[in-house]
Order: sequence, then structure tokens, then C-alpha cells
Amino acid sequence: MQGYILNLLILVAISGILAVSLNFIIGYAGIYSMAHAAFFGIAAYSGALIAMHVSTSLLVAIPIAMAICAALSLVISLPSLRVRGEYFVVASLGLQMIAFTVFSEWKEVTGGIGGLTGVPVATLFGYRLHSLESFFGVSLICLALVTFVIYLLVYTSFGRSLKAIRDNEVAAASFGKNPVIIKTIAVAISSALCGVAGVLYAFHVSFVNPETFTVDQSVLIMAMIIIGGTGTVFGPILGALIIHLLPAALTYLTFLPARDLASLQQIIYGAAMVLLMIYRPSGLIGRSNVKDTWGK
Amino acid sequence: MTGPVLSLKGVNKRFGGVVAANDVDLDLPPGLITTLVGPNGAGKTTLFNLITGNLRPDSGSITLRGASLLGTDPRKAALRGIARSFQDLRLFEQMSVFENVLAVMERSALPWQRGGRAGARERREKAEATLAQVGLTNWRNARAIDLGYAEQKFLSLARILVTEASLWLLDEPASGLDPASYDRFVRLVRGRLSDGVTICLIEHNLDIVHGISDRIAFLDQGAVLAAGEPRAILNDAKLAAIYFGERR
Repeated sequence: MQGYILNLLILVAISGILAVSLNFIIGYAGIYSMAHAAFFGIAAYSGALIAMHVSTSLLVAIPIAMAICAALSLVISLPSLRVRGEYFVVASLGLQMIAFTVFSEWKEVTGGIGGLTGVPVATLFGYRLHSLESFFGVSLICLALVTFVIYLLVYTSFGRSLKAIRDNEVAAASFGKNPVIIKTIAVAISSALCGVAGVLYAFHVSFVNPETFTVDQSVLIMAMIIIGGTGTVFGPILGALIIHLLPAALTYLTFLPARDLASLQQIIYGAAMVLLMIYRPSGLIGRSNVKDTWGK
Repeated sequence: MTGPVLSLKGVNKRFGGVVAANDVDLDLPPGLITTLVGPNGAGKTTLFNLITGNLRPDSGSITLRGASLLGTDPRKAALRGIARSFQDLRLFEQMSVFENVLAVMERSALPWQRGGRAGARERREKAEATLAQVGLTNWRNARAIDLGYAEQKFLSLARILVTEASLWLLDEPASGLDPASYDRFVRLVRGRLSDGVTICLIEHNLDIVHGISDRIAFLDQGAVLAAGEPRAILNDAKLAAIYFGERR
């Protein structure tokens, strides 16, 4: 039982990192990327391969995966960020589909549909993180660090430039800002931070295959942000918590008929999401509910 | 005598069959306010867009202190000292009033700006001073979108005031202002002329045009029909007929 809850909380922490990092570009730059799961996958495969062939240290795997994600995002985002709004959504969707195909078909590296199995236990400063407790602790620290980095960025001139571009790109350019470069850097930062989640995931489940990195995953991460509150720092974490815990909590409703449990869970889950969006359209800690996203 | 700050020679721009700029010749003399007037669709905002690089002219030349502006884009135009406001304001709506002003001074794409901590402190002080100047200190932490229309207009002006730009292009900056706000606006704008700023603005209200302008250029159907002293332009019966839609 404790293992189940810890496992759930680790997934919440990993999803929290994914949501916080995606929110950096959705909430603060207005870049709606459907390719976050692709970078999640790139980092997971990178982490798994590094662990299997180079080092099991998180301090090796995470920085390398972050660098790979950032570099790939630069290659991809420089041309696609020249298009705006819904056009970027379509471009990123295409990227997500390409990534999935590569994960599935590049069998020599990714193991194809079967994926990579037997990712060894992660280590940190020489200690093996074999217990769920220790891995949860590390995941939580990573989530805190990623959130802190986002916090720092949002309240610097870079964050203001991002928000200015989000609010009005033409005006921002007219005041000397370079939207393409600023958005490209933002996507690189977001992708790099997403890489942290990918590595943690690969080590946690000790197995990666393409099924985890589909467009559904991108939509799910986006849902976490919208539910928690777009453009807020803690909203995405709350969203991740709800997305993971609500279905789990529904399993405790013992009065539900066992035969229809799965279907009823989906209906309740879906209805809860719809109600949430009706009554809290800006998310649980959206802008309309607090004076400032940090409650200042 | 010094030459014009900005000079347009034979500038043309067409959108399909619509002539937006028709062989436009226009000079903006330094340290003066030149107002562009004309009926709707005369091509006034198009001229601003051509100057700032939002649009490219089909032909003609645009020079800023003798150097060509052709091929520039809005960002480069800003870096060369042109600040522009918009008819529809284009504020950074979800950002606070203070952030709106601060953000326009932060031009580096990197997560840090020039000047380190001292530079950051200087920019903040300048933003605070500018907000005080336009009377928005009390709204400092409000989101731009939550301001009233007049306050939004002054925020738009504050974003221009805080720049180091030497040429201001203001698109209907005083429309919708009450008389007291308008007087404040005129004082703020004229007060900067002595700092070497040159201003070109678009305005429809002829009382405002008369009150603020040093020179007027009258446009119709993309062409500059007349340019000169305000009194001469505003008293021209033929231009008045065009302006009020009374041409044959």
C-alpha cells in the first residue's frame, strides 16, 4: 500500500516537472506546444541509454539529457517559431508524430515498439536509489529545483520579455525585442527542464517504450496546466496532483459496482474535469482568483 | 539649418488595387510635432507601418538622419531610435503597469541585461519616475487590462516616454481623452521636444491637431495633398471638404 502511494507520488513529481516546464512556454510565452511528450521521450531514451552504457549517476544522465533536449529543441524550434499561434500547434504536433515514429522505428537505438528494458537503478553521489522513498525524495528535490528555476526566470527581464511577447508580439518587437530568439531560448529552457522528468521516469520504471510518449501524453500535460492554472507557478503541480490522484481516489469508492468500475471512473473523472472548467475556467489557482500568481 | 530627421521620397505602397501610399514625399523636421491628418483610409497608419518596417514600400526611399530605413524591421527600427504607439494601444495586457514600462527598456534577448544590478536599479527608478510623470503611480501593480481607457492611453505614452528614442510615432494618442487628460498629455509630449525628440502623430480631432501641431501633413487616398503650417492647412476649404467627405 505504501509502495503504491509512493509510486503514485513519484509519478506526480515527474508529471509536475513536465507540467511546470511546459507551463513556462504556454503560460508565460503563449507557445502552445504539443511536442512536450516528444522531449520527455528523448530525455527518457537518453537517460536509459546513458544508464545502460555510460553511467547510472543522475548527475551525469540529467545534464546530458537536458543538453540533448535543449539542442534538439533549437534545431526544431528555430524554423517553427517563425509561425504563430495555431500554426505552431500544428507544427509541434507534426514534430510529436515524427518523434513517436523515430522512437518506434529506430530499433537499433530505441529498441522499437518493445523499447529498452533493464534500465539500472539510479545513483546519486555513489548511493543507489533503490528504495521508493529515496527516489521520491530525489524526484521531489528535482521538482522543487525546476520550479525554482522557472520562478527566477519569470521574474527577470527574460520573463517580462516572454510575457510581453505573449501579450502582444508586434508591440514587443516595436520596442526592440527579438521574439524569435526569445521564444527559441524559452523553448530550449522548457525542453531542457522537461529532460529532468524524462531521466527520472526512465530510472523509475526501468523501462522505456514509445507508448508513453504519444500525443496523448502531451495533451495530458497540457490538461494539468489548464486545470491548475495557466501562467501560475504552482498551478501545474496542483494539476499534476489532481490528474494522478483523482482516478486513484475513485478506486476507493467501494459502492461502485466492480463490473462497471473502470467505465464509471472515466465518467466521474471526465465530469469532474468539465465542471472544473465551467466553474474555474482560469484553473484552480488562475489569475482571477489571486492578486498575483505568487500571492504577493 | 539641420536636415529632416526622417525623410520619405516617392514612397509607394499598394494592396492589390488599393493605393495605400501614393508617391509620398514627407520630411519631419527635428524638434517639431508633425501631425498627419486626413479622412479614414487616407494611409496615415500605413505610413507609420512603412517607416517602422511593419510594411515594405513597393518603391521610394525612407531615410532616418540620412541613413536608409528600407529593409528594416520593427525591432531594428526601435534599436535605431524610433518609438511607436498604436491606435489599438497594444499594451502588454496581462502584465502590471510597472512591468509594461520596465519591459520596454529591457531589450536583450538573454536572461540578463546590460549594466548589471546598477543598470537594473536605474531602469526601475526610471520606470517609477515615468509612472509618476504620467500619473499612474497608484495603478503601478494593476494589470494593464484592468485600467480605464484614459489610464491605458497614458500607459501607452509612458512606454514611449521611458525609451531613449529620438523619433516618436504616435497613432491617435489623444483620442478619447477628456479635456483635463488631454492638457496633461500635451504638456508631457511638448515637454520632451526640448530633449531633442521629434514627433509625428496621427490625430482626427481637429481641435487637438490645432493645439499640439507645429506642422501638419494632409493625406488623402495615400497621397500627401499639402504640408505646412497648421493654420494654413486647417483653413484650406478644399482640404476641409475632403476631410469631411464633401468632395464631389
